[in-house]
Amino acid sequence: MFHWLEKNPFYFAAAISIVISFAGLIEIVPNFAQSGKPLVGMKPRTVLELAGKNVYMKDNCMACHSQMIRPFKSETDRYGDYSLSGEYAFDRPFLWGSKRTGPDLHRIGNYRTTDWHEAHMLNPPKIVPGSIMPAYDHQFENEADLETAYAEAVTVKNVFHTPYGPAFHRGQEAWDAHKSKVLEDAKKIAADMKDERVKAMIAEGKVPEVVALIAYMNSLK
Amino acid sequence: MQSNAALEYDYSLAKKFTFLTILFGFLGMLVGTLIAAQMAFPELNYLLGEYGTFSRLRPIHTNTVVFGFTVSGIFATWFYLGQRVLKVSMAESKFLMVLGNIQFWLYFIGALLATISLLFGVSSSKEYAQYEWPFDIVVVIIWVLWGVNMMGLIGIRREKALYISVWYYLACFLGIAMLYLFNNMAIPTYFVSGGLGSPLHSVSMYAGTNDALVQWWYGHNAVAFGFTVPIVGMIYYFLPKESGQAIYSYKLSLLSFWGLMFVYLWAGSHHLLWSTVPDWMQTMGSAFSVVLILPSWGSAINMLLTMKGEWNQLTDNPLIKFMVLASTFYMLSTIEGPIQAIRSVNAIAHFTDWIPGHVHDGVLGWVVFMIMASIFHMAPRMFKREIYSKKLMESQFWLQTTAVVLYFTSMWIAGITQGMMWRAVDEYGNLMYSFIDTVTVLHPYYAIRALSGVMYLIGFIMFAYNIYKTMTSGKELTEEPQFRTPMA
Amino acid sequence: MGMNEIQGYASFFMTIFLVIMLYGYIIHLYRSEKKGERDYEKYGNIALDDEITSTPVEDKSASERYKEENK
Repeated sequence: MFHWLEKNPFYFAAAISIVISFAGLIEIVPNFAQSGKPLVGMKPRTVLELAGKNVYMKDNCMACHSQMIRPFKSETDRYGDYSLSGEYAFDRPFLWGSKRTGPDLHRIGNYRTTDWHEAHMLNPPKIVPGSIMPAYDHQFENEADLETAYAEAVTVKNVFHTPYGPAFHRGQEAWDAHKSKVLEDAKKIAADMKDERVKAMIAEGKVPEVVALIAYMNSLK
Repeated sequence: MQSNAALEYDYSLAKKFTFLTILFGFLGMLVGTLIAAQMAFPELNYLLGEYGTFSRLRPIHTNTVVFGFTVSGIFATWFYLGQRVLKVSMAESKFLMVLGNIQFWLYFIGALLATISLLFGVSSSKEYAQYEWPFDIVVVIIWVLWGVNMMGLIGIRREKALYISVWYYLACFLGIAMLYLFNNMAIPTYFVSGGLGSPLHSVSMYAGTNDALVQWWYGHNAVAFGFTVPIVGMIYYFLPKESGQAIYSYKLSLLSFWGLMFVYLWAGSHHLLWSTVPDWMQTMGSAFSVVLILPSWGSAINMLLTMKGEWNQLTDNPLIKFMVLASTFYMLSTIEGPIQAIRSVNAIAHFTDWIPGHVHDGVLGWVVFMIMASIFHMAPRMFKREIYSKKLMESQFWLQTTAVVLYFTSMWIAGITQGMMWRAVDEYGNLMYSFIDTVTVLHPYYAIRALSGVMYLIGFIMFAYNIYKTMTSGKELTEEPQFRTPMA
Repeated sequence: MGMNEIQGYASFFMTIFLVIMLYGYIIHLYRSEKKGERDYEKYGNIALDDEITSTPVEDKSASERYKEENK
């Protein structure tokens, strides 16, 4: 009876599919509703922070930094409270990372400031002697893609009901209306920064990548 | 399907994918060596401006090696051994040939574009699944083309029983299809938001902890169905064929196949130990990772026992050396993986360099060795010439073996040092080291690793050169060799 | 019954089921070879004797074979 499988490719393939999908069905699917809940009172990220998250993804910070504090004393001493599932409920994708060439960043907003980040992104070994992190000078010149960040907010609001409030709509008009708010947020961050390029871009109504990134970093608490 | 006197196996597709294997292998390892060197010598981050930082290049390294090198190798060997074990030639079906060629060109162009997109930072940030949605669609099309081709060839086969290798290739196809599809589910923001922003950007269908679960169910099993299953399929064909010894036990191969299919998928959550995924899943991941030793070693032992009574071949045939060493490294990394999946070990090992160390003893020692050995075996049959140089092959073998050993030993030490230093406390319970202390202490190990990368890359260039010379100036063969690969 | 319980039972019984299948399989393989009904090891030769002109180890499809055996 059994040997019959190895001669019937179709049933053979079907058997493989059943056996390999079993784990996924039992292990992953049923927990979706449960572990998808946000913490009480948690707000989704602002558009500027989302743009910063996209810079984080573009320059792939997660290649070296995690955002997952494990429940050990050595970790909570170093980074702060251990991470809770609900804190990630709005993160698409999750950015836990799998390697700590640099330190964890899940609560970096608690102990680093805007000007620290500015100086550090320009020249990491100057701020942390011995650091092997490269400088991200181009983030001071590239413009952050705010429109895509807004598009992302609208998408998660419409598709996943992320609570973004009634002001978020599809289409160019809605974005134009919201843009000034984002620029205001950016100005607040840039006020604490010294770099001339940043000041010049903000004056032109543009937001450099580094400002968005710092807004995101500051929101990680 | 009328058989005539001149009917021969058609290796044209196998050849094309062999060239891609070598090309992507070289590129992937070149980038890998560069980023390894960057960790020891950070100045190397500034060679290409914005596009040359470690963080931008790492996904290019991983994706080129996984989806460029390994997948080309899988295609190349399938288009070679698929015909042989089914005893049917690709030339017997025009349709399959055309399909195969479409697959080749689409794959070649798609892979180049996808790599460029990563260079520009267009990334969905899920490890080993960074390609954004348009490239995902291309990947799916290529994969389906391959599936249709495989099923088509199986459909017109003469040998009714499917050989062991065919099971593994089938499983590779089905597994990757399922995993890739589910993990890359994403919604393009451009269309939902009424035409705002970048058309390439998308958001994952899953959020936070769920996304992590799906991702590591994928990440772990992409390793299973990309780096383990098809490579086992290769060795089940090439080792018996090269040595002229039938596989030690067909029954054992059946058992380890189904065992592997069942157990592997459960183990994904061992990437998420101590994280916010539910405890029982973490335990499940740990437990099944340990059980996974059985089917993995089942295959590996089957390989080694195939050589029973024929161990003399190990000394005089370098190809057998490659394959036996590959199965040995397979055993090593399949025992190392479960060890790292034990909770208490994982608490130290996770996030450290021990993990890349583990990946690389598997990939450099097992996957790349096995794919190179397969190409060495196929070359004289495809090009009808002897292998250009046995000596070069021997020196390549020793150079690369040394490189792998240097790689994993340095990363073991680095990883454990790092893990211990992160948690070290003084007599009052205060942390002893600041984070940067745990970075600077690793410099020598990073330097050794970079050196091992250079050695391995040189070995790969020797391999490419040897194949090139075989094609162009190896001694011509009058008839196809039956078992042992002829070499000068 | 909550989702967790369903998951627990599903996982438990499916695992038991697959373990029984696997052991059944092992016993079946070895028994049928001992009785001489099947020779599994001959399939190992598929890799060795793989010229396009060589005779297939198994040249009948499963359904043909089934018909023959149940005449």
